[in-house]
Amino acid sequence: MSQGKKRLFRVVALFAIAALATAACGDDDDDNAGDNGSGSGQKQTVKLAFVGPLTGDAANLGINIRNGAKVAVDDYNDGDPDVRVELVEFDTQGDPAQASTLKDRFITDPTIIGIVGPTFSGETRAVLPDLEANNLVMVSASATNVALPTVVPNQRVFHRLVPDDDVQGKGVADYIIKSLEAKNVAYIHDNSEYGKGLAEGTQKLVEAGGVRTALIDAIDPKAQDYSAAVNKVRAAAPDVVFYGGYYAEAGRLKKQLTDAGVRATFVSGDGALDPGFIQSAGAAAEGAQITCPCNLATVDAGGKLGEFAQNYKDLNGVDPGTYSTEGHDAAALLIEGIKDGNTDRQKLLAYVEDLETFDGVGKEIAFEENGNIKATGVFFFEVKNGKLTLLGTTEELVK
Amino acid sequence: MLRLINFAHSEVFMIGIFASLFALHGLGIEAGSPPKHGMALVGTLFVAMLAGMLASGLTAVALERVAYRPLRKRNAPRLAALITAIGLSLFLQELFALRYGRNLLPFPRVLERTQLASFQGADIRSDKVLVFVAAIVLMIGLERFIAKSRLGRGVRATAQDSETAALMGVNIDRVVVLTFLLGGLLAGAAGGLYGVFFENARYNIGFLPGIKAFTAAVLGGIGNVRGALVGGLSLGLLENWGATVLGGEWKDVFAFTVLVLVLLFRPTGILGESLGKARA
Repeated sequence: MSQGKKRLFRVVALFAIAALATAACGDDDDDNAGDNGSGSGQKQTVKLAFVGPLTGDAANLGINIRNGAKVAVDDYNDGDPDVRVELVEFDTQGDPAQASTLKDRFITDPTIIGIVGPTFSGETRAVLPDLEANNLVMVSASATNVALPTVVPNQRVFHRLVPDDDVQGKGVADYIIKSLEAKNVAYIHDNSEYGKGLAEGTQKLVEAGGVRTALIDAIDPKAQDYSAAVNKVRAAAPDVVFYGGYYAEAGRLKKQLTDAGVRATFVSGDGALDPGFIQSAGAAAEGAQITCPCNLATVDAGGKLGEFAQNYKDLNGVDPGTYSTEGHDAAALLIEGIKDGNTDRQKLLAYVEDLETFDGVGKEIAFEENGNIKATGVFFFEVKNGKLTLLGTTEELVK
Repeated sequence: MLRLINFAHSEVFMIGIFASLFALHGLGIEAGSPPKHGMALVGTLFVAMLAGMLASGLTAVALERVAYRPLRKRNAPRLAALITAIGLSLFLQELFALRYGRNLLPFPRVLERTQLASFQGADIRSDKVLVFVAAIVLMIGLERFIAKSRLGRGVRATAQDSETAALMGVNIDRVVVLTFLLGGLLAGAAGGLYGVFFENARYNIGFLPGIKAFTAAVLGGIGNVRGALVGGLSLGLLENWGATVLGGEWKDVFAFTVLVLVLLFRPTGILGESLGKARA
């Protein structure tokens, strides 16, 4: 064979392989469609989509949720059910623009019948109108923006497993006012939509309770040096410092505050609830108080939560993090619906809408009309001996 | 000097931080180990900085070999080198992100933060003194080296007019490698100090210092070592005044407004005048 012919042959061979592969994929799709219709002897598979960040700066939260959901899916599939569930991942990098470009892929795939996520409020807002138009039910483990249920009027698809920012802010405020008996509070945030909202919301509620504001200031989450803010806090000598933002910066800030001799109690929100906070702050993390609408699973917790933590660790090789519990419960809830035979979008949506209660590993789940979770307490954690330890919920702590 | 902004310099710096972290681990100092004192402290700091300098210096020279020299040899347009630099920067960042994860890696506490004195309510703390003194020493060293030594003269000559310098017998390749090596060594030393001071390492940690360093160089006058020192100091002071007077979220707005104003009236930067004249 001459050089030219050889090359031609290779090209043709490549095309042939590609064509075969495409045909094979096509066959797969046909099989699924057939199963959906007739329920023939072969096992049927339906898909749940995970939507959230798996890479990028905010990847940790997304990975926690995905790993939690994986535990639920594996658990279910291990029982060799008639309808198998597959978890498909869509990595948004936490960016609403990415979510918008990805959404066509999960909306146009009819075998995807439910969504675990999206992780953040911004991306939820970006995809919600299309989810509603396609009857694709979503259960977010972590989107807490107050306005989300009203983005699309009369929507049905939106559900979340954590109370919104107002509820969290109120829990934090009550705790600062009544349990810590603060007189003078400094607020610092990272200027993000989440951090600023949480800090300012908390400030408003705490002030309403008659507690003085020492100062409110912002830091740049990308920078390392927070001495400007630290010096201001030191000069104002508050008895509580509240930080709105994520764990890595929270840890650095706490360390620099402690190094500068600030002894005020450090309080922060769900964004800071991650072992990364302790890593970043080192010994200075001790005694910091972190609140979360979520329940952190640890092996020591015992019961269902402890069992989940153990399964999670066996499957993923790491301890559960923030929102892992909720990620599991979001997937488990949808799977419960699939188990009951709701294997298309319409039926699964109706199942979640009509759901009365679901017994999750983190808590008892029930939804309000608009998809918000029925009020549950905010959980409080304290760093003790280098570990995040549950103190209790607002109801238990604030009397 | 090559009229090239080495965007990958941020990553050279980042590698310096990682190297000093690994050097500390190599010495058996893990997160949570007690701080050092006396000679042990001096030795530890020395090893950390040396590791950072070695790693960064080697990286910088390797980058020059692999990425910039081939372009220079082929007389590629400067834009190509710029894009290469950005590409390298992303490559190194992702390499470290994939290898060491995207989370912060904590540094052990090496230097105890003792308050040495207090001046008008401002702390004078041991770690800050260390960084300050080290910065001054490195700056003076660099300035003397560029101004006095034979190699330094070669660097200056190449920067002014590389063709004439080559005609006068300056080995351009050697000078360029030397410049990268110097830049790398300094970035590594800075990385070691940065690690000891801020106590963490991360794949994208070099980005912001890189931008700030470039800004400081422009503010002070590009191609001028003293200018860079003045620029860096002014930028730091501006940011912190801005943050104190206007609030933390305004610190960058304030600093960069001043930068634009300075460049409007002195396009060559604060100390850039002599070089501007020399070029004209």
